Amino acid sequence: MIWVEHVVSGLSFGFLLFLIASGLTLIFGLMGLLNLSHGAFYLVAAYLMLELLDLELNYWLALVVTVVVVAAVGMLIERLLLHRFVNQVLPQIVVTVGLALIMADLILARYGGHPVLPPRPPGLSGTVQIAGGYFPTIRLAMIVIGLLVAVGMWLLMSRTRVGAMVRAAVDDEAIARSVGIPVSRLFVGVFGLGIGLTALAGVLGGAFSGLSPGVDFRMLLLSVIVVVLGGLGSLKGALVASLLVGLVNQFGIVLFPTLAQFALFVPVALFMAFRPRGFFGRVGLA
Amino acid sequence: MSLLPVALSKPRVRQVAAGIVVLAVLLAVPSLLSPFHVFTAARILIFAVFAMALNLVFGFGGLPSLGHAAFFGVGGYTVAIGLTRWGWGFWTSLVVAIVLGLVVGALMGLLTIRTEGIYLLLLTLAFAQSLWALAFEQVQFTRGDNGISGITRDTIPFLSGDYYTFVLIVGLLLVGVMWLWTRSPVGRALVGARESKSRMEALGYEVWRYRVGAFALSGAVSAIAGLLLVYLQGIASPELLHWPLSAEVIVICIVGGAGTLFGPALGAVVVVGLEVYSSAYTERWNVVLGALYILTMLVLRDGLTGLPARLRRLRRARAETDAAADEPARAPEKPATGVRL
Repeated sequence: MIWVEHVVSGLSFGFLLFLIASGLTLIFGLMGLLNLSHGAFYLVAAYLMLELLDLELNYWLALVVTVVVVAAVGMLIERLLLHRFVNQVLPQIVVTVGLALIMADLILARYGGHPVLPPRPPGLSGTVQIAGGYFPTIRLAMIVIGLLVAVGMWLLMSRTRVGAMVRAAVDDEAIARSVGIPVSRLFVGVFGLGIGLTALAGVLGGAFSGLSPGVDFRMLLLSVIVVVLGGLGSLKGALVASLLVGLVNQFGIVLFPTLAQFALFVPVALFMAFRPRGFFGRVGLA
Repeated sequence: MSLLPVALSKPRVRQVAAGIVVLAVLLAVPSLLSPFHVFTAARILIFAVFAMALNLVFGFGGLPSLGHAAFFGVGGYTVAIGLTRWGWGFWTSLVVAIVLGLVVGALMGLLTIRTEGIYLLLLTLAFAQSLWALAFEQVQFTRGDNGISGITRDTIPFLSGDYYTFVLIVGLLLVGVMWLWTRSPVGRALVGARESKSRMEALGYEVWRYRVGAFALSGAVSAIAGLLLVYLQGIASPELLHWPLSAEVIVICIVGGAGTLFGPALGAVVVVGLEVYSSAYTERWNVVLGALYILTMLVLRDGLTGLPARLRRLRRARAETDAAADEPARAPEKPATGVRL
């Protein structure tokens, strides 16, 4: 039964990674932008949530406000700064690392370096007993939310007009522009969606894995791994890879704690060396 | 016709004179400045060498590695573990660091043969992070996050009292090696591959060999830089292997001018100088550093060494708009560094 509990833990962490990585991969697929400040938005959202809860705001209202505000800040940054660097690999890396440094340092200045465990959402704080195993409710909720987001993203991309426009812009930006698709507006929208999902991940993930300086870089690196494994720009790949990384991460920590991260990075590096485009990445995307 | 032989032509004389002045200033640092500033200067020198080493693959080879902290850390941990565990002296540590730097560098070069651009960047990152994870998690060897402290400079063979000058001499030797490499057919071939890989391959060059070779040389020089830094600060911690450091040397290269031999040295003066002195004034020096990263990409993409050419272009553009459109259009000047960022 202990193994089932570990599987649930790994899967819930995997779905948490999926919330972050789906935005990352979508933004890359559409704009050719690898946003290395993605992890910083995760942390910003988590701390903003704490501030709002201090104001005695209703938990769910605070969650909505956090996601909307952080997504709006992200869209503003995209519009003012990042859109200058679309499809320019190296400048983006440097600029988004710069953004991440600034955000992380400001958070450190405001909240100090102490680890914090934010409160869990009301109604999701206990454990559930199923067939002799104990499962934290929030982890089960994470799996459900992750599945909902995955289905929602799939519907959005494959069944709506906006999704069709995004797919067109991913395929051929110039042609998409020339037939009147507002590509620049799509950029802002998709960036906002990605950051919003990361903000949601920050609030929920913070509640079950805690907050401390460095969490931003850790989550970012794991999501970058997910995005790379799945194939840059592929949502399906991100889903498969995030569950895989979640499970490998969990069992790595359980089975060989002194080698857990090493055991994660080495296979990833080898895999990338022999299949750079990942599970579902397209040839010649980058 | 100039009466001077080519070797003594005007720009060459000016270059030599500038070199002598810079060297004199560098040598005078310990007798002119306070210990804190000398320490900072040594740190700048070390990062200059490190950034120049990255620049071999990044600027000259057009291969953006986000994993160079791996080599730096390998050199640093060689000293730290060798000295505290087995009492290695300077020479032993140096030889081991060079060999490990060459091997790890060649390994990274081999792994990344099939990749370019963003994939190369992410692959080198994953490679370096696996070494970081090793240093972070193998606590019995590396003492994990606390790092290995208590590294003394007793075994430095000469000038052990004046470590700055020692760093300067080692650094100049390494710069000499890198200078020779950039002027050799091997270095030229790599620049050729940066400009057009397919053309170089059609000419019969086996490009991958040059890439692996450049990574190996770059790895060895970076490892020596890491070794020098650990001797300077007396402690080795996983920070040496962590990816913010890899990002920082990339920025150092860009600020100075990637693709030029001495650009990264200039970048090291600016970035490391700013880092050290802003951290003396404010705890929030990471904000300063982040702002520098963003500003660099907004206004200084050709780097400081590319600034004159950029200003010339701007001036000419202005003059052309003033002189109206009757002049024939001129071909656009290439960016000074030739690196497409």
